[in-house]
Amino acid sequence: MAATTDHDESTGAPAQPVRRRPSRRRGRIAATVGFIGELLITMGLVLGLFVAYSLWWTNVLADRDASRRGDSIRNAWADEGPGELDTGKGIGFLHVPAMDEGEVLVTKGTGTKNLNAGVAGYYTKPFKSAMPWDAKGNFTLAAHRDGHGAKFHNIHQVHPGDAVVFETRDTWYVYKVFAELPQTSKFDVGVLKDVPEGSGRKKRGRYLTLTTCTPVYTSDYRYIVWAELERTEKVDADRTPPKELRHG
Amino acid sequence: MYGWIWRHLPGNVWVRAAISVVLVLAVVLVLFQYVFPWAEPLLPFGDVTVDNGAGAAR
Repeated sequence: MAATTDHDESTGAPAQPVRRRPSRRRGRIAATVGFIGELLITMGLVLGLFVAYSLWWTNVLADRDASRRGDSIRNAWADEGPGELDTGKGIGFLHVPAMDEGEVLVTKGTGTKNLNAGVAGYYTKPFKSAMPWDAKGNFTLAAHRDGHGAKFHNIHQVHPGDAVVFETRDTWYVYKVFAELPQTSKFDVGVLKDVPEGSGRKKRGRYLTLTTCTPVYTSDYRYIVWAELERTEKVDADRTPPKELRHG
Repeated sequence: MYGWIWRHLPGNVWVRAAISVVLVLAVVLVLFQYVFPWAEPLLPFGDVTVDNGAGAAR
């Protein structure tokens, strides 16, 4: 706008009809370029907002949701004390001190809707997960690496020898990590088998498998961590955690 | 585009600025509430499960 005004003033009134046409065309081009520029800026802002949404806002929502559900389970447990397992709202909490995420509620299923609620889900397909209290089998879990609670964000900090504790209403299941697979294909369902393929184990046992996506912020591959049950502890009246959870 | 919107908003500068802020917030709300939740599953950033290609994670 300013440029056009300057131009008109400098050329004077008589020249206007002649000069006007190219300047108007240039104005239209400038307006078009400006419009495209504004669209590009808008797209950049929207993409930036999307990053904020996926990495921050979904965590806020999922954490709120999961802690509300976790609280309701804890309240139910507290009301009735240690006792029979109640699988209605969730089967228990996963504690991985090496991941530093606090407790992770574990519920049934690995569908998007379930996992987006900020929990870890146990597999129902392609292989049905064993439960920790089963005599033999593989307890298989999945959770998000980023967004939606990002419960397995720090899975790369978990190494062989680290403790993974699963807490149910009446029992602490203390697992010890024995193998990790930092990168595998998303079609590698063998990692979920009762004798997990690639873990190095040949016999059936009481295993725990954590799966999430890798590299961080993408889901090109899957990250797998395997642990084996070391011992179980009965939950006492104060829910005193096992020693693995007490230091740090 | 933004210039056009600005010129078509009623009121003086302050009223226009206030309306603009409301409009921006409304757009952000629509994006966070409807557009992003719709778009996210279509993008390959949140698949965490292993499956045999049948889309168990979906």
